[in-house]
Amino acid sequence: MTSENTSKKPDLTPRRRFVANLMGGRKGKRISVSNPTSIACTELMNKIGVHFPDAHHDAKQMAELAAAGYEILGFDTVMPEFSVQQEAAALGCEVKWGTDTMMPEILTHPVKDVSDVIIPENLLEKPSICVILDAISMLRHEYGDHVAIIGKVMGPWTICYHMVGVQDFLIMTLREPDKVRELLDAYIPVTVAFANAQIRAGADAVTLADHATGDMVGPHTYEEFLVPLHHKMLPQIGGPTILHVCGNCVDRISLIITEGYDAWHFEWKNDPKKVVKAAKGEISLLGGISNVDCLLNGTPDDVYKQARYNIEAGVNSIGPECAIPAGTQIANLKAIVSAAEEGY
Amino acid sequence: MVDLNEIAKSVIGRDITRTRELTKNAIDANIPVKEILNKGLVAGIQVVGEQFGEREIFLPELLMSGEAMKAAMRLLKPLLAKRKGGETYIGKAAIGTVQGDIHDIGKNIVLMMLEGNGWDVTDLGVDIAPEEFCTAVKENDFQILGLSALLTTTMPNQQRTIDMLKANGLRDKVKIAIGGAVVSQTFADQIGADCYAGDAAEAVKKFKLLIQ
Repeated sequence: MTSENTSKKPDLTPRRRFVANLMGGRKGKRISVSNPTSIACTELMNKIGVHFPDAHHDAKQMAELAAAGYEILGFDTVMPEFSVQQEAAALGCEVKWGTDTMMPEILTHPVKDVSDVIIPENLLEKPSICVILDAISMLRHEYGDHVAIIGKVMGPWTICYHMVGVQDFLIMTLREPDKVRELLDAYIPVTVAFANAQIRAGADAVTLADHATGDMVGPHTYEEFLVPLHHKMLPQIGGPTILHVCGNCVDRISLIITEGYDAWHFEWKNDPKKVVKAAKGEISLLGGISNVDCLLNGTPDDVYKQARYNIEAGVNSIGPECAIPAGTQIANLKAIVSAAEEGY
Repeated sequence: MVDLNEIAKSVIGRDITRTRELTKNAIDANIPVKEILNKGLVAGIQVVGEQFGEREIFLPELLMSGEAMKAAMRLLKPLLAKRKGGETYIGKAAIGTVQGDIHDIGKNIVLMMLEGNGWDVTDLGVDIAPEEFCTAVKENDFQILGLSALLTTTMPNQQRTIDMLKANGLRDKVKIAIGGAVVSQTFADQIGADCYAGDAAEAVKKFKLLIQ
């Protein structure tokens, strides 16, 4: 191949760039910028005229807001689920859907026992579920092979937080661990059905959020409940999965890498260099730019520095560490892309 | 003879039934309430707080110890209210989660730790508007008002509450403490709060300093 032909070789498309990074494959000319969690900020919503709560309920507006991540910010991925309450709403919780500056909240927790668990046969037809599927389909139709689409589901642990109540559920892990295991098993079909439906609708990968974070439970709890749960569940999901667990998780990376996820979406408070070392190449790493200190309260230069730190540490795909605060400025989100465009 | 150290151990050991039983035994043995509180419950919950701060235990364990302490406090509180001569409480505080925010675990843990450490605490609840905080301060004699916010979208309501207290001439009546996963000392300084506490153990230490 002549050097002239080499220089003409097109770079990876956003979709290929992200998928390659996700699976630990070809690097291309630069790292991908991805959002396994929401990047809907107030400034972005004002710019395109799409707002909450409508964008939680209307597939077209949801897709439009998700697409802004690529069209305006320049990310390689679009992710249409901005909240974490879709499953809880479908399973019978009362949800307050909020505004541009107020994220949705779950108001009721109807489950105290396994006998209270009701999974509707028409789960995938529930409004809060099918709006996501419709939005993913629209995005796939719009972007074809060009932009990566990430779906999102809650894992059974997080579903239990929502259905039982966080405090009651956490106490249950000590007082009634067998009941916890029964509840987790009961909700596996919900996570699996929703994840598979999103993949069929066109998602390239699905973020699976199971918030057994280091700020709430210890690594012994993660090993006791989450590892067997994920071992049971992941083989049933027919596509790449990205584990999202917030908080300080360095103490459980050795467990996470045994579970079978394709990637882990992590927070900045876990030093990216330590995370890369602890992951031992067994899982791809997505993240980990700080939301509050950097994206919300920092400057584009602060964002650039964290982005380059992640790239140089060997993180596979960079982006915000979690759903971004509403007050995040577009300039800071674009600074992530600028840092990526410099190459490795 | 009731060994108050055993009450502390049962709080640390998260044994709700034993904590309640030993506390009842201590009351029946006419041990002064303040002693039961300080040498039994406070001693136990202080160790729990340190363990939590050192990440030896996590939220489930902290919440269970809290349940043990609550069980004991249900027996002690009526007796504390009847005390004669001199103050039993270290101080008086109220804590609420700000408007638009319904997270309460952190707030509840702080309340539990303060109560266990001898404070007269009032739980103002969640989703509390600045006006409601103002009313609470106006109508009571709280020394400290705690404002909890877990979300970046509700943090600004900590500032709004402080501003409204100022506008109503109530700011000097009470010390303001803020907390929550997304707030920081820097933010506390920016909005004019008197203190920031990163967790319940820190809150106990800083609240005591605030009223000295």
